Amino acid sequence: MITKFSAVLLILALLAFGWRRILTYLRYFQQEEYNRVRFLGWFKAQRAYDRRGSLVVLTVLLLNALIPAPWAAPLWGLLGSVALLVIVFLFEGDPRKTGKVKLNMTQRASKIALIAFVMYTLVALLPLGLVCFRCCESTDPLLVSAAFGLLLVQSPAWLLLDANRLLWPFERRLQESFVSDAKRILAELDPFVIGITGSYGKTGAKAALGELLTQCLGATFWPRKSINTVLGTTRAIREDLRPHHRFAVMEMGAYNIGSIKKLCDLTPPKAALVTAIGIMHLERFGGPENIYTAKSELAQALPPGGILVCNGDNPGARRMAKEHDKQTTLLYGMDSSSGPLDCLATDISFDDQGTTFVVHWRGNRYPGRTPLLGRPALSNALGAFTMACVLGADPAYAIACMANLQPVDNRLVLDRKGSVGFLRDAYNSNPTGFQAALEVLGTLPATRRILMTPGMIELGEQQFAQNKRVASIAAGVIDLAIIVGTVNREALLAGLSDGGFAVDKIITVDTRDEAFRVLTDNQAGGDLVLIENDLGDIHEGVVRF
Amino acid sequence: MKTDRQRVAVLFGGRSVEHEISVISALQLILAIDPAKFDVTPVYIAPNGSWYTGDALLQRSFYAKVPSALATLQEVILLPKPGVGGLLKIGSPESAVRELFTTRVDLIPIDVFLPVFHGQYGEDGCIQGLFEMADVPYTGSDFTSSAVTMNKYLCKRYLGAHGIPVLPAVVVQRGEAQADITGITDGITSQAGFSDFPLFVKPCNLGSSIGISRVKDRTELPAALAKAFKYDTIALVEPCVSQIMEINVSIRKATEIEASVVEIPVSSTGVLSYEEKYLRPGGKKSGPSQGMASLTRIIDPQDLDQDIKERVINLGKRSFELLGCSGVARLDFILDLSNGELYFNELNAFPGSCAFYLWARSHPRVLYTQLIEDMITTALRTHEVKASLDRNIGLKALK
Repeated sequence: MITKFSAVLLILALLAFGWRRILTYLRYFQQEEYNRVRFLGWFKAQRAYDRRGSLVVLTVLLLNALIPAPWAAPLWGLLGSVALLVIVFLFEGDPRKTGKVKLNMTQRASKIALIAFVMYTLVALLPLGLVCFRCCESTDPLLVSAAFGLLLVQSPAWLLLDANRLLWPFERRLQESFVSDAKRILAELDPFVIGITGSYGKTGAKAALGELLTQCLGATFWPRKSINTVLGTTRAIREDLRPHHRFAVMEMGAYNIGSIKKLCDLTPPKAALVTAIGIMHLERFGGPENIYTAKSELAQALPPGGILVCNGDNPGARRMAKEHDKQTTLLYGMDSSSGPLDCLATDISFDDQGTTFVVHWRGNRYPGRTPLLGRPALSNALGAFTMACVLGADPAYAIACMANLQPVDNRLVLDRKGSVGFLRDAYNSNPTGFQAALEVLGTLPATRRILMTPGMIELGEQQFAQNKRVASIAAGVIDLAIIVGTVNREALLAGLSDGGFAVDKIITVDTRDEAFRVLTDNQAGGDLVLIENDLGDIHEGVVRF
Repeated sequence: MKTDRQRVAVLFGGRSVEHEISVISALQLILAIDPAKFDVTPVYIAPNGSWYTGDALLQRSFYAKVPSALATLQEVILLPKPGVGGLLKIGSPESAVRELFTTRVDLIPIDVFLPVFHGQYGEDGCIQGLFEMADVPYTGSDFTSSAVTMNKYLCKRYLGAHGIPVLPAVVVQRGEAQADITGITDGITSQAGFSDFPLFVKPCNLGSSIGISRVKDRTELPAALAKAFKYDTIALVEPCVSQIMEINVSIRKATEIEASVVEIPVSSTGVLSYEEKYLRPGGKKSGPSQGMASLTRIIDPQDLDQDIKERVINLGKRSFELLGCSGVARLDFILDLSNGELYFNELNAFPGSCAFYLWARSHPRVLYTQLIEDMITTALRTHEVKASLDRNIGLKALK
C-alpha cells in the first residue's frame, strides 16, 4: 500500500517539478524571443542545467542501493518527492510572478509550455512502460533508473525547444495571417507613415514625435513602449489603429540585415527619422558597417519624394542623409562643427525641472524648455520638432508643446524622494546615453553624486573598452560607485582606477536588489543617484537550478 | 423576486481624465446608500466606453486589474429607447444561447440612474442626454444645466449677464493656437487686464485642476496653452487674483434650495493641483485617497467674516437657481483679499465625494445617506413631471 502511495506521489512530484521547471526555463526562452540559438547561448553561458533535481534523484537511488530493506524504497520515494516539491515550490519562485521580467503567459507561451509538458509526461511514464515490458531485467536497475531520473529532470529546457519547433509551422501561419491583416488595415486607413530607426533614441523620438504631431497637426498613432518588431507592430495596428489617425509613427528595430526592410514592407514609410547609428548589438550584426547597412534600409524604402530627417551630431546618421538624399533631407543637432545643421539647438542647460535651450530653425530663434533631461532626450525632441515642422506644424507651437513632453519610462527621469534624488536611466544603456547621463549627474545640484550601474552590454569586442572609457569619465563626476553584477565589473573598475577614483569609494555587489540595499544603507540627504542601465535577468547574476 | 426597494444603478468611471476620482466617489457613495430602501447595481464605464456590472466592482482592489479583469464582468448597455426598463446584458454566452429559445432579452431592471461622474461625458450633459433619450429617471442636473456648468466660459458669461460677479476671461480655440501661437499670445496680452502676470490658463471643459497652469510671464503662455489643448479644444485665460482665498459651498435642491456650510480649501502652492485635490492622503491618517473628502481644508471656518459667508451662500443659491441645477452641486468662489471682492469661479454639477463632508457639518446636519435619498426622490419626481408632458400631438403636417 505504502509502496503504491509512494510511487504515485513520486510521479506526481516529478510532474509538478517538470511543469514548474518548464515555466522557469520558458521565462528565459521568452526573454530571448523564442530564439533557439540565443537561448542555448544563455544556457551555455550560465550553465543553467539542473543541479538540485539531479542531486535529489541520485541521492534517493544511492540510498536505496546502499540500504536495501523492504521499507527503504517507499521511504526514499516519499522523501525524494517532498524534496522535489520543496525545491520548485519553496526554493524557486513562480516565474510568472518573480523576476524583473516576468513570464508572460501569452497564447504562444501557453502552447509551448503545454506541448513541452505533454512530452515531459511521456518521458516520465516511459520507465513504467519499460518495466511493464520487462526490458530492463537484464541490465542493472540502478543504472537504468539513474539514467531515466537524470534524463527527466534535465529535460525541461530541451523539451521547450522541441515544443517550439513542433509548433513553429502553425505559429508561422498564424503570424502571417495577422501580418497580412495588419497590412490590409493600414492600406485601408492610409495614414501618413513615418518610420523611426536608430541604434538608440528610437522610442524616445517616437513618443516625442507622436505627441508633437498629435498636438500640432492631428491625431497620430504610435505603438506605445518600445514596440519595434513585425509582430509587435502588427498587433498594435490590429488593435489600436483607427480611421481618425492622420499620422502613424512606427519604430523600426534592426535585429539583422533585412529586419527593417520587412518592417518597411509592413508599414511603407513616406518619411523617416534616423536618431543614431551606433555600436549597439554589435555582436548580432558582426560589424559596424552591417549596422549601417541594416539601418539604411529605412532610407532606401522611402519614395524619391520622401522626407528624411537625420541626427547630424551622429556620423552614421549624417552619412545616411548624404548617401540617401531625398527630396527633403534635413539634419538636426546640437553641434554644427561636423557640418551645417537645418535645425540647431544652442544655449543648453539642465536643472531639476528639465532642459532649457534655444532652437534655430529657418532663420528664426525659438527659446524653449522641456521636462526631458539630458542631451539624448533633447536630441530626440529636436528630431521630432524638425519632422513636425516639415510636415506643417507652426514652429512656435511645436516649441510650446515640447514643454509638455513627458519622459519615456526609465530614460533619464529625475525622481526626488525627500532630499535624495534619483536619476533613473535604467533602459538599455549605450556609450552616448551613459556619457550624457553623467553630464546631467554632474550638472544638477547635489552634495554627493552616486553612480549605480552594471555597465553596458551587447557592444561586442568594444564592450570592455567602452565600459572602461565611460567609467573613467564617471570618475571625474561621482563620489561613490556601486557596480552591479560581474558582466562589466573588471572594465568599470579599470576605468575608475584610470580616472583616479579612490578604491574605497567603490562598492561591488552581485545583484540589483543587493545594490538597492547598499544604496539604502549608504544614502544621505542631498545625494543624487544615477541608476544607469538595468540588465534583464538573462544577464544578471548567476542562475542556478 | 419582487422587491419593494428602488433599484438604483450607480454609474461611474467614464471616458474622462477624472475616471479614477469618479470610481472613488462612487465607492464612497455606494457605502452610504440605505440598503433597506435601495437595491444598488454598480455600473462601471471603462475608459474605452464599455459598460459593465458585477459585484467585483464594489472592491477598490478590482480597479488595479483593469482592463484584463473586465472579462470577468457582465457587459451591459442602456438603449436610447423609452420603455426598456433597465440595462440590457450583452455579449454573454449564456444570453446568446437563451436568445435562441426565447425572444426575451436579458434585462437588469433599473428604476433610477445615479450618475457619479466627474468631467467629460458624465458631468457635462452627455450621459444626461442618453438618459433623456431612454426616458429614465436620473439624479442631478439635467443635460442643459450640466452642459452649461461644465463649460467654464459659457457658465461665466451666462451668470455674468445675470449680475453674478465673475472674473474676465479670454477664450482661445485650439485650431487658432496651432496655426499661430505667437499671434494668439500677442492678442491675449494686448487685452486690457491681461498684460499683467501671473495669468491662469485652463481647459474650458475640465475640472480637477488637470491641464491648468499658472503663468508667470509671457514666455510661459504658449506652453501653458499647449498644455490645456492636450485635454480640450478650448482654453480659457483668466487674470490671477494675487491675494486669493478660495471659498466653496455646496448647494442642493431637495424640496427647496439649501446651502451647506462653506469651506476654505488649503493649498501648499497657491493653486490646488490634481495631486493635491486627490492624491494627498486625508489629514494625519495615511492610506488610500478618499477623493475630495481627503483634502486639507477648513470646514465652516469660525474666523471668516459672517458677511462673506452669507454673500457666498446667497450668490451660490442664486447661481444654482439661474443655471437650473438639481441634486447636489459645489460652487467655488474666489475672494480677492486685497479689496474684498467676491467672484464666482466654477460650479461642479457632481462634486467630488458629493460634498457630503460639508453637509455632515451643516446646520441642520444632513447625512450622506439622506443626501442620496433626497437626490433619488427628486429624480423620480422630476421624471414624473416630464413624463406627464404632452409629446404627441398626432400626425398633422404629414397627413
